[in-house]
Amino acid sequence: MTIGLGSCIGLTLYDRDLRIGAMVHIMLPDSSGRTDRPGKYADTAIPLLISKLVEKGSRRSSLVVKMAGGACMFEYFGNNLNIGERNAERVRAVLAEHNLRLHAEEVGGKAGRTVAFYPDEGGKVTVRSADGAAHEI
Amino acid sequence: MKLSSVQIDAMQELGNIGAAHAATTLSQMLSSTVEMSVPKIKVVDVAQLAEHIGEEPAALVVFELQGEIPHGGYIIFYISRASAVRLTNTMLGLTDPDRSLNEMDESALLEVGNIMASAFLDATAELLGLVMLPSPPSLTIDMAHAAMESLIAQMQEEIDEVMLFSTELMCAEHRIDSDIIMMPESSMLQTFVDRLENLMNPS
Repeated sequence: MTIGLGSCIGLTLYDRDLRIGAMVHIMLPDSSGRTDRPGKYADTAIPLLISKLVEKGSRRSSLVVKMAGGACMFEYFGNNLNIGERNAERVRAVLAEHNLRLHAEEVGGKAGRTVAFYPDEGGKVTVRSADGAAHEI
Repeated sequence: MKLSSVQIDAMQELGNIGAAHAATTLSQMLSSTVEMSVPKIKVVDVAQLAEHIGEEPAALVVFELQGEIPHGGYIIFYISRASAVRLTNTMLGLTDPDRSLNEMDESALLEVGNIMASAFLDATAELLGLVMLPSPPSLTIDMAHAAMESLIAQMQEEIDEVMLFSTELMCAEHRIDSDIIMMPESSMLQTFVDRLENLMNPS
C-alpha cells in the first residue's frame, strides 16, 4: 500500500508463477549516480526490484508490471519541468531497457492517487483517488 | 542541514512573527478570534513523510518563495477539506457544512491563502531585511500527502530530508483548523539562519 502519490510513481512487479511481488515508490527519474537510496529513482529502483525477484527465482517472462501515479498537481513553479510526466517516461524507458513489458498503467492527470498491491490475490493492483472508489488496473 | 538549539529557537521566533501576522489577517477576514500554536519545526525524512502527513483530503494553497533568493522553497496554507468548507461558508455567508467545494470556494481559498502568505512574508522579510515575494498561488484540493510529496519532488535542491516550519491557526467559533507551513530550500534556510545570527549578535 502506498498512500497519496502525486508526481511519484507506484510500480509493482508480480511473478505469476511464483506468486510473489514487489512494489516501489519512485520519487524522481534520475539518480545521477547516487546510490544511497536506490528506491527513490526510476533508473535505480527498477533494476533493484528485478534483482530481488530474480534472487527469489523469478524469470523475467513471468513478471507482470503495473504503474500508477505521475500526476501534475500544481502548475509548475519557476522553471521546473513536469516531474510526474518525466517519472512515468523514465519508468517506461528503464523497463524497456530490461525487456519488461508494462501490462497496465494509470498515470498523469492532476489528481493524487493511492495505490494498493495484493500479491496474495494474484498480484491485484487497485488505484483510488481522493473521492473515488478503488478500482483495479 | 542541522540546526543548533539556538538556531531552532531563532527560527521558531521567526515563524512566530510570521504566523502571528497571518493569524491577524485571518481573524480580520472571519471577524472572529483566531488562536495560534507555538510554531513547530520538524525535520522529515522524505521516505517517512506519510507518518507526518496523511491522505486526508485537504486544500493546499501553495506559493513559491521568490525575491532575493529566486527559488527559496514554499509557503503553504494547509486546511482540511471539512475546515475549508466551514471557512468559505463563513466568508460567503453560507451554512451547509456538507456541500462540496466549487469555483467560488476555490477563489475564496486562493484569496485567503494569498493574504495570509503575504502577511507572513512581509513580517519575516522586514525582520530579516530580506526581500521575499510569494509567487502567484497554486491551489489543489486533494490527498494532502500526494500534494506535499509533489512539492518536495520538485524542489531545486535534491534532498532526503525536508524541514517543515508549521504553525496551527484555529478559530474555535467556526471550528476552523488550518496550518501555515514554510518549507525552505537549504539555501534559503542558510540565509535565514545567517541573518538571524546577525540580528542576535550585531557586530
